[in-house]
Amino acid sequence: MKGDVLVIGGGIQGCATAYHLARQGASVILLEKDYAGRHASGVNAGGVRLLGRDMAEVPLSKASMEMWQTLDEELGHETGFRRQSVINIAADLTDMTTLRAREERMQAAGFTHERILSRAELLDRLPHVNPDCAGGAISEQDGYAIPYKSTSAFRLAAERHRAKVVEGEELLSLRRVGPAWLAQGHKNRYEAETVVNCAGAWADHIALMIGDNVPLSHAAPMLMITARMPHFAAPVVGAVSRQLSFKQFKNGTVLIGGGAKGFADRANNRTRLDYAKLASAARTTVEFFPIMRRASINRMWAGLEAYMPDNLPVIGPAANADRAFHAFGFSAHGFQMGPIVGQVMADLVLGGQSRFNLTPFRINRYDRKIL
Amino acid sequence: MQALDCAIIGAGPAGMTAAIELSKGGAKVAVLDRGTRAGGQIYRAAAASPLPNTSALGPDYQAGAELIAAFERTDLTHFASSDAWHLGDDGRVLFSHLGETHELHCREMLLCPGAMERPMPIPGWTLPGVMTAGAAQVMLKSDATVAEGAVFAGSGPLLYLIVAQYLRLGVPVTALVDTTPRQNYLNAAPLLPRALRQAGQLKKGIALLREIRSAGIPQYRFAENLEVLGQNKAKGLRFTSGGQIREIAAETIFLHHGVQPNLNMTRAMDLAHRWNPQQLCWQVETDAFGQTSIQHISAAGDGAGIIGADGARIAGRLAALNILHRLGRLSEADRNRQATPGIAKLAAMAPFRAFIDRLYHPANALRLPQNPDTLVCRCEEQTLADLREGFNQGARDPNALKSLTRCGMGPCQGRQCGHMVTGLLSQWRAEPTEAVGYYRLRSPQRLLTLDELSRFQAVPAPTHAEAAE
Ligand SMILES: Cc1cc2nc3c(=O)[nH]c(=O)nc-3n(C[C@H](O)[C@H](O)[C@H](O)COP(=O)(O)OP(=O)(O)OC[C@H]3O[C@@H](n4cnc5c(N)ncnc54)[C@H](O)[C@@H]3O)c2cc1C
Ligand SMILES: Cc1cc2nc3c(=O)[nH]c(=O)nc-3n(C[C@H](O)[C@H](O)[C@H](O)COP(=O)(O)OP(=O)(O)OC[C@H]3O[C@@H](n4cnc5c(N)ncnc54)[C@H](O)[C@@H]3O)c2cc1C
Repeated sequence: MKGDVLVIGGGIQGCATAYHLARQGASVILLEKDYAGRHASGVNAGGVRLLGRDMAEVPLSKASMEMWQTLDEELGHETGFRRQSVINIAADLTDMTTLRAREERMQAAGFTHERILSRAELLDRLPHVNPDCAGGAISEQDGYAIPYKSTSAFRLAAERHRAKVVEGEELLSLRRVGPAWLAQGHKNRYEAETVVNCAGAWADHIALMIGDNVPLSHAAPMLMITARMPHFAAPVVGAVSRQLSFKQFKNGTVLIGGGAKGFADRANNRTRLDYAKLASAARTTVEFFPIMRRASINRMWAGLEAYMPDNLPVIGPAANADRAFHAFGFSAHGFQMGPIVGQVMADLVLGGQSRFNLTPFRINRYDRKIL
Repeated sequence: MQALDCAIIGAGPAGMTAAIELSKGGAKVAVLDRGTRAGGQIYRAAAASPLPNTSALGPDYQAGAELIAAFERTDLTHFASSDAWHLGDDGRVLFSHLGETHELHCREMLLCPGAMERPMPIPGWTLPGVMTAGAAQVMLKSDATVAEGAVFAGSGPLLYLIVAQYLRLGVPVTALVDTTPRQNYLNAAPLLPRALRQAGQLKKGIALLREIRSAGIPQYRFAENLEVLGQNKAKGLRFTSGGQIREIAAETIFLHHGVQPNLNMTRAMDLAHRWNPQQLCWQVETDAFGQTSIQHISAAGDGAGIIGADGARIAGRLAALNILHRLGRLSEADRNRQATPGIAKLAAMAPFRAFIDRLYHPANALRLPQNPDTLVCRCEEQTLADLREGFNQGARDPNALKSLTRCGMGPCQGRQCGHMVTGLLSQWRAEPTEAVGYYRLRSPQRLLTLDELSRFQAVPAPTHAEAAE
């Protein structure tokens, strides 16, 4: 099978990349070893959050946030996006100091989307929060979406523009022969001028095939979802320094995260849970929101996510090969970035450049000159 | 914390028999069951029946009291009212008892979670007043309560048993609507000669049917196109039988067309499963001793493939012998010698089971929803049409369909809809069930309050030295 661009990985980055490329007329083949949205992009917490982002990511994240607001119309499919403010709770005065320092840096950089909340404002927005909390920070344009639906929406839109999505097809090897990339999947062979590596927790394998070494690691952040309960919190909740994060969906179920990690068994496509850590996440949750004691956990799970040492993604051209690009290593906050990453990748592939400064995201940022 | 030689989940005939055998062999055993008393489905409350006289429930039921007594005499730990919510392949069991989570560690694990009834997704099957026939039996056995004037619809031995139990107790039954297809009798006929070798079982079945017939309640055969009538609650059942459309008024409708293994535990442990085309259900893959794809985890009884209560007892004993061998308490030769009669008995029972499976093979039209408006997922209220729409949007895998439609995401975690979704996707994809697969399941096995989880402190797994003590 032949195409202009071969995208590896059917997560949100791969599907969004395929969409933006196909929309502009490129012929795209996307290979996904399982099914699109099977991994991080389909099982994450769905947080579409600008709040608390690393400064280097803010421009991309802001642009993505704008895209989310109208994504359903653009793609012609539901992503389940709902606009909702996100609040990071400051448990104590130390947290408030952290927030003030951040506010200064943000303002200096000209970003105004985050605002500090006093204790009274916090209690007003989250009446069920433990009243001992000191305050918080809020971002009003944020929200959440349904992960699998969003990934699927990009995939369907890409297919509408004639991208070919091949599921159940694992890329086994890749080589550059003359002007083409020759790819061997376990079912078929493919040929394309350009290859884009969006392979999530497996992206270091693909990077190796391309010729780039990268210090990627992977882990299995865990989530729990409750049965429906009466509405008690509209905003999405996070915390400055505690492992606390949850959101209550429209249907009343509450998704609890917090960043606790289970065990990642990448070779077997599997994760295992760490129940002691989930218990500790439960303790933090009920400590901050006593009303949650009554919540009933319906399911617990984890997803395989790719991490870079600095928790920033790799976005940009390959260091050691022509016509190859990377977008991976989103370090547990890449779902929100999906829409803009797709566009950036299409710009790189089709025009050779992006309007964003991608230096912080270059793949060889950890290469050392001397041993 | 001390490690156990074996933890058994489920105190039905399989779990109890295994526990007795293991204990006899010197193993340190704990049995967990969410019930307040041992017994499982068939012997529910058999040791402490609320009924003045249990003879109406039949001799099989009464025989359960003996097994329960033997179990209770055995030196082992029985955690009653204990709901296992996590089972790990590392030998860890987390269970809830009176609102607290406790942790066990065991070298070997034996899963005996039993069966559940196969859902019958006819239009209106989720209306109040519609229950499974098994639920009728649970009410009878546990609380001595009955529903008068009910219609029983479906097919299979358990349905007839419950109708007979009702009739023996003098409870008025409005009708028995039998859905066993005419074709099944033809299909099963060639298996009859071999099944006759178990003449006792066959006679028992025939006697049961005769008993119902002689009670004179209205019976309809070869019923099709079943539909529960009523808007907000069941008002009756409509069906065709003998070329006529019939409507029977009733406020209670009991449906039943066979049982299938309780899958959630074996699935959540990622054990290998296979599709059983005779019984139209998934079952965990095991060897003759019940050993699964993970060597130190075994499964026995109806939870590992439907074999009935007598079969469950034998399977429980075989699993126990193998576990004793694995624990170094029984040589391989002794295991094989002691297992021979049981293996032979199970083999002798197989032809009768095959006959029954063929005869009561559920009709696809009753096993899979036919009407676009019929609910497939009760928890999340997803209809057949909703699922079809999800499929059309590219969700070809049960998990993708679940992520897209929420079908199977509710508190039952796919217990009800799992087999239906596999069946529907297999039809739509025109591929065999094995290619379609099943939901990826996870802990907890049942709803767990955040309060309880927050109070759970993991006890580190014991070292080898401690475990050996
Ligand atoms: C539990 C959890 C919660 C999270 N919560 C949030 C959140 O609230 N907000 C947020 O913004 N982010 C969140 N994230 C992070 C976010 O989900 C990820 O950053 C993002 O989905 C990554 O997308 P991706 O396309 O790079 O990776 P993936 O979705 O993992 O996709 C990569 C795909 O590549 C495929 N693949 C790999 N190797 C091959 C091969 N050789 N051949 C073919 N295909 C291959 C894989 O099968 C996989 O489907 C969370 C992550 C997890 C795990
Ligand atoms: C509703 C119903 C009624 C039945 N009635 C009859 C009958 O009258 N006659 C007959 O011959 N057959 C009956 N059967 C068929 C029955 O499956 C077998 O006869 C027999 O009971 C199987 O024995 P078992 O040991 O495999 O499982 P079961 O007897 O079902 O025992 C399994 C036990 O495991 C326990 N369990 C499951 N999961 C957990 C968990 N996570 N934590 C703690 N405990 C758990 C259950 O509480 C149960 O006690 C019935 C089946 C059903 C579903």
